[in-house]
Amino acid sequence: MKQLLFLCALFGFLSWNVISSENTLADNYTEVEVKDGGTVVGNVKYMGDLTTLSLNLYADFELPETSKSATEKLIVSTVNNGLKYAVVSITDITKGKKKAIPAIHPIIDQQRNTFIPNVTAIPAGTTIDILNGDEELHTVHTRTVKNQPFNLGTTYKQRISKTFEYPETIKLTCDLHKKSYAWVVVLDNPYFDITDRNGYFEICDIPPGTYKFQVWHEELGKLEKEVKINPKELSNIEFVYSQY
Amino acid sequence: MKPKALLSKVGLWSATAAASAALVIGIAPITAKALNIPTEVTEDGKNTYKKYCSACHGEEGKGDGPVARSMLPKPRDFTRGAYKFRTTPSGSLPTDEDIYRTISYGVPNSTMIPWDILTEQQRASVIPVLKSFSEAFEVRKPEAPVDVGLEVRPTEKTVAEGKKIYEEKLECWKCHGVEGRGDGPSAAEQEDDFGFPIKPFDFTTGKFKGGNSSRDVYLRFTTGLNGTPMPSFAKELTDEQRWCLTHYVISLIKPEETSK
Repeated sequence: MKQLLFLCALFGFLSWNVISSENTLADNYTEVEVKDGGTVVGNVKYMGDLTTLSLNLYADFELPETSKSATEKLIVSTVNNGLKYAVVSITDITKGKKKAIPAIHPIIDQQRNTFIPNVTAIPAGTTIDILNGDEELHTVHTRTVKNQPFNLGTTYKQRISKTFEYPETIKLTCDLHKKSYAWVVVLDNPYFDITDRNGYFEICDIPPGTYKFQVWHEELGKLEKEVKINPKELSNIEFVYSQY
Repeated sequence: MKPKALLSKVGLWSATAAASAALVIGIAPITAKALNIPTEVTEDGKNTYKKYCSACHGEEGKGDGPVARSMLPKPRDFTRGAYKFRTTPSGSLPTDEDIYRTISYGVPNSTMIPWDILTEQQRASVIPVLKSFSEAFEVRKPEAPVDVGLEVRPTEKTVAEGKKIYEEKLECWKCHGVEGRGDGPSAAEQEDDFGFPIKPFDFTTGKFKGGNSSRDVYLRFTTGLNGTPMPSFAKELTDEQRWCLTHYVISLIKPEETSK
């Protein structure tokens, strides 16, 4: 009995050790209850010359097989110059709302030699399911250093689940179809959003204070802005990319 | 229980224990385990690396040594922790034994020679130096090696099955060519993780880079080659299918090409 108790104690100590080491391994973000948080809504615009680029507003709608432009690097709305697939995040926040890791895994699908969606933003620790919707072989290849890289062949209807533990901007590619790729932006806090097709984003429950907001786009790079958040107030910010 | 019976029982058990212990020790691999690979970077390791490795792999392990310019395939850049020849699953870091194996046996069809001119201790001392170049070894740990089961016996049937996988299921020919000469339609556009062009392997030469035994070839399908476009098919193919593909790929070797 004594031995059993000792074993139990030893196991408990070991598992506690593992858990605590995991906690210290995690980032410098602490979860607190946010009661009077502010909200930021905004717009990301691209004000460059639109005529020189082959832009397609309806880029990710169902297209006939002949149209090859299902993935464009730059998707700009012709209505208000809003830029799609830009990731807006707060870079210097250390405490805030609970990091909600999606229980239903976000999906990246390979259809007609294209990754859909093109950009996915997730908090660290999220699992993504990568599918193959084509009746031919694809590969999914990442070149990360901190997150475990992988290079897997996938056939029709195959589903691969991968967890991304560390904040990194990761490019997924298919070695058989050189044109297709996707971005997975892994962030260490839950304050981020991807712009919709008119360039709008929304980040809510931000504890009052001044923060650095960053917008990232695969082609246009990064922009930064400092914004003061007041309790229970709605702030409006706008990021503008000039000529490409 | 009578004392005599108890004695015989104890005797039997201790005999069994001793026998199994002997068996375990006997089975355990003696190559790299017995070698005592150091965990910390030693002065000896640094000197060995500088003298024998840095000319190609660079002083800081970036694969940019003075003679690297004229080489293709390029010397490995150790900063990413991407090692091709492993026994661990796709994407994982290699075990120390994997690195030791590559140093000792070299990589055929490249400028990496078998470093058996160094002593075993020298080869082992380089391993922590290589690992110190990449931050990946600080963040991650190598996963457990893949379990290679019993080999399926090569028969005409397994070769035919492997051919089917090669030509229809996985379409290996897209890169490696229909005859396995590394001249498939997608072959020209392949590049590795470091942006250098890379040639799909020509099976007809028979000089498999990770080793020529069927176990080695089986491992390449299971673990993939990190840092290259070659993926792992551990999830796509069953264990038996991978053995079939192994047998087919080995059957592509052309004796007249191997002497070149």
